[in-house]
Amino acid sequence: MFKRLRVNTKPKKIGPDIDEISISQLIGDASLPVTIKALNSLPENAKLRLYRALIPVQVLAEFDINPRTWKNPDKQQQVSLDAEQGSDKVKIHAWYGDDPQNEFFYLELADNQYNGIDLNFLIANNPTAEKFRTDYDDEGKETLFGTVRRNVIEEEKAMRAGLAPGQIRAGLRSSQVVFNHIETFLTMMAHHAFFLEPLTYVSAWIFEKRGFAYSKGHQLMDTIHKEFQPGGELHKALDGSTPFRQPEQWKTVRGRAWAIHDGLLEAIDKKWNDLKMIKQVGRHAGVKTFPDAEY
Amino acid sequence: MSQRYQMTRAAELESLSVFRDFISDCCGRHNIPKETVFELKLAVDEACTNVIEHGYKGMDPGSIILSFRIEPDRILVSITDFGHIFEPAEAPKPDVEAALEDRPLGGLGLYLIYQTMDNIDYESSEEGNTLTFTKFIK
Repeated sequence: MFKRLRVNTKPKKIGPDIDEISISQLIGDASLPVTIKALNSLPENAKLRLYRALIPVQVLAEFDINPRTWKNPDKQQQVSLDAEQGSDKVKIHAWYGDDPQNEFFYLELADNQYNGIDLNFLIANNPTAEKFRTDYDDEGKETLFGTVRRNVIEEEKAMRAGLAPGQIRAGLRSSQVVFNHIETFLTMMAHHAFFLEPLTYVSAWIFEKRGFAYSKGHQLMDTIHKEFQPGGELHKALDGSTPFRQPEQWKTVRGRAWAIHDGLLEAIDKKWNDLKMIKQVGRHAGVKTFPDAEY
Repeated sequence: MSQRYQMTRAAELESLSVFRDFISDCCGRHNIPKETVFELKLAVDEACTNVIEHGYKGMDPGSIILSFRIEPDRILVSITDFGHIFEPAEAPKPDVEAALEDRPLGGLGLYLIYQTMDNIDYESSEEGNTLTFTKFIK
């Protein structure tokens, strides 16, 4: 009996450091928000149980990944969690097949300076779809979603294949379910809202559909829509001078997004930066800066 | 049984007339007395002007969410923005007794809201500022 039971005379500490914000927050007043940093101070298995809720089971099921073990039928690990003690970030990364570089899902949440939560990244790509190297330039340097450098040849191919700026593959079309999970998770942690910065015009449009409002940039989005109408400055600037500035592009979200990615906002002396969106938990703001939009 | 309505627009002066039309439309569906509709429009106009002029001052304006809940005996209005925090209690009280030429421009917004609405509440945080007021239906 209990042959395999051994008492470790020097047990590894599995609880949080006493000076960390600790599990007492979780068992305390349920209406007080819990930070990512506090969650990260929990023991590994406790973290895993909580953070597992952030990745939708539907998304994992698409790739035959067990949502409890995060392994495929060959027992290979397909999802990793990065939530170091002391860090105020959590990163969840899922890939398809043997190569962790073959990522199809990446989520990063972080505490912000206002005791709120920022969604820093959300990527949900179809790993079986054609890949475009828009993430590296022709010298092999990272483009950071085309924000610091561009690979124009690959971008043009991606655009013609129906992708949006910043994408390397077609999306999983799962943003609704992913946001539902994030919102449920943040409700569990008693947060009222979360924030993000839309990388592109397409992202902003999708986030509007998912119920986000703007804490910065709503007026800019209205201006963009107005100036894309016939007679507007952005409409005029679609002069065919580059593959990304074709006259018909004002009609679609994607067309506008590629033109803006190409620097079209210079025509109205604006830049695509400093937009910030907020999703209040349980509330759909109903923003539509491009009414009756065609994707 | 209450009925809810909501509209979100950019914090810019052009949105004020859209909000006014929205109020008329919502109230029209419930046969709200004209005087009450006028007072609601006035209060919403003043509150939103405050958000536009002060709440988002110095930043690219974000959204204003106007929501309505119409109950049999009252209307609850809430106006949410994500700009700078505003503390109504700290706003200077206007001197409505002073001669017209001695009064500064503006500054009557809150006064008008207090005069026309029956209950006012304000909650503020980085996750949104919400001014809520109630108007009883006579």
